[in-house]
Amino acid sequence: MHSVLSNLNSRMTVFDTPKRVAYSFFEWFGELGVFCARLLRSAVAPPYEGRELLRQMDEVGTKSLPLVAAAGAATGAVIALQTHASLARFGATSLIPAVIFHSLLEESGPIITGLMVAGRVGAAIGAELGSMKVTEQIDAMEASAVDPFKYLVATRVVACVLMMPLLTLSADLCGVLTGWLMTSLTDPVSLTLFVDSGLRHADFNDFLPPTFKTLVFGLIIGVIACFQGMRTRGGATGVGKAATGSVVLSSLFLVVADVLLVKIILALFP
Amino acid sequence: MSNNVRLGAFIVGALAILAVGIFLIGDEKFMFSSTYQLNSSFDSVIGLKEGAAVRVGGVHKGTVTHIQLPANPGGKVTVLMDLENSTRDVIKQDSESSIETEGLLGDKYIAVSFGSAQAPDVQDGDSIGSRPPVDFAALVKKADTILDSTEATVRNANQITENFREVGEKINRGKGTVGALINDRRMYEEATTAARNAQQGVKAFEENMEALKHNWFLRGFFKERGYTDTKELTKNAIANLPQAPPLEEFGFGGKDIFDKPDTAKLEGKQALDKVGKFLEANSFGLAVVVASTGIEGDKNENLILSQARAMVVREYLVDHFRVDDARLKTIGAGESSRPQPDSFGEVSIVVYPVGVEAPVAKTSANKIGP
Repeated sequence: MHSVLSNLNSRMTVFDTPKRVAYSFFEWFGELGVFCARLLRSAVAPPYEGRELLRQMDEVGTKSLPLVAAAGAATGAVIALQTHASLARFGATSLIPAVIFHSLLEESGPIITGLMVAGRVGAAIGAELGSMKVTEQIDAMEASAVDPFKYLVATRVVACVLMMPLLTLSADLCGVLTGWLMTSLTDPVSLTLFVDSGLRHADFNDFLPPTFKTLVFGLIIGVIACFQGMRTRGGATGVGKAATGSVVLSSLFLVVADVLLVKIILALFP
Repeated sequence: MSNNVRLGAFIVGALAILAVGIFLIGDEKFMFSSTYQLNSSFDSVIGLKEGAAVRVGGVHKGTVTHIQLPANPGGKVTVLMDLENSTRDVIKQDSESSIETEGLLGDKYIAVSFGSAQAPDVQDGDSIGSRPPVDFAALVKKADTILDSTEATVRNANQITENFREVGEKINRGKGTVGALINDRRMYEEATTAARNAQQGVKAFEENMEALKHNWFLRGFFKERGYTDTKELTKNAIANLPQAPPLEEFGFGGKDIFDKPDTAKLEGKQALDKVGKFLEANSFGLAVVVASTGIEGDKNENLILSQARAMVVREYLVDHFRVDDARLKTIGAGESSRPQPDSFGEVSIVVYPVGVEAPVAKTSANKIGP
């Protein structure tokens, strides 16, 4: 907990008193609130930075695709192997496709994608914005009447939000394909039958809410990464801390948010 | 711009995945094919869920859209289902729906049976009949009962087997009658003794009978008849006279020797004494007593009477004179063939010289009553 909190505030040290830790903890959340408010103001008000948004979407989405696809494929393969091992013991091998589909679509795909994007994009945003901050480029931007929140932050956050579901769908697809391949190694089965039996008991509630909850994941990654980058202090060390902080905190909040989201989805879409 | 093309391709690709996913799942729920609605009522839907499959002839052709509890306690649970239009060809007004379970623990689904060809077609919103679902819990209860009774049966069978085993053991150990029969040597001996006793009993009975014959009350009958033992009649009988010439021949009328025409009771013993003395005085090879009866009466009885007479004469000679009884034989000639002055028959004693042997002994081959 201490090490996590130390990331909240780069000025904190191991020797801080508990009072000081609590102080910086609430300070961090307060600053985040102010940051979000300013982000919202900047994002909704025209003009919009369309070109920069597309560039960020390419950065966040397309360039993350190989990583996310690989992670999804690996997850699908692992689930296939693991469920085969355990279900074969109970003679329930016919349930393997359903288990793979449910596991991938409902939880594995979204969370793996979220963590991958948090790692790759969170670090990139934190380091980029952090170095801009410490080299006073952001101050220069403000001086030249360009809103850094509109140009730098909002585009990145929106790109994260928009790209997450699409990346998740890609991860799902790759996971299903490798799952099918792995299952076919032991029990040869056509892809059609595999998909049909996998989705036999599937509902839209098993597919759409889990996929679109990654919008929230994208929002968390974008906001936390940008926030950590924008409040970077100090030199190169500060940039490094900003990058680390954005990855660790966005991953942490993503997982915590997932708990709440799953609960909400189960309640709203039984 | 190549970056934007790349981005566009990614976005289109990902959205295509989304579309395919939605289509596949929607297809599973028959959301994109034209359907019609049917409903069916059950006492209990035993855990059927909305969204469950509806199978027609085992083929997944519809979805349970809604399950309604009845408005009052007397009503039934109504299940609304959407079915593909293609099923209209086989589902008729007399089709029946039933709630089935996939596997032992699997999901519930509704099975709709084919209707009969002549039944009217179903319309959207029609109601079809239902078969009460197989309640697995009830089935388990029934199976439990069966198992219980089976167990009891098996226990009984075990008991029976155990009893058999015990009986077998007891037999082996020699308990009880069967065991004793099988195991006890003494028992066998007793059985043997009993059989022997029975034999002795028969013998004793014979002796008793014998004694009875000499009893004063019955003695008269035998005395009158002239002999007591029928078994002795042909004991020393021979079939016919030897061919050799006789040494001496004594002939008597039956009246000279016997009491009555139909008995073998000796009367004229003096006549026989002459023969006895002759036999004592002379050595002889064989002497044959030939007796016959008159022609009155039954032929068979007369044969017996003749045999008896020959025997009685022989016995008199053996008893009263010192003669070798082995050389003294009898012939019961039956009714006399020669014309008789009376109905007594006759007796002749033919004596043969030394060297003449008796011919083959007369056996029981002739028709003699007991």
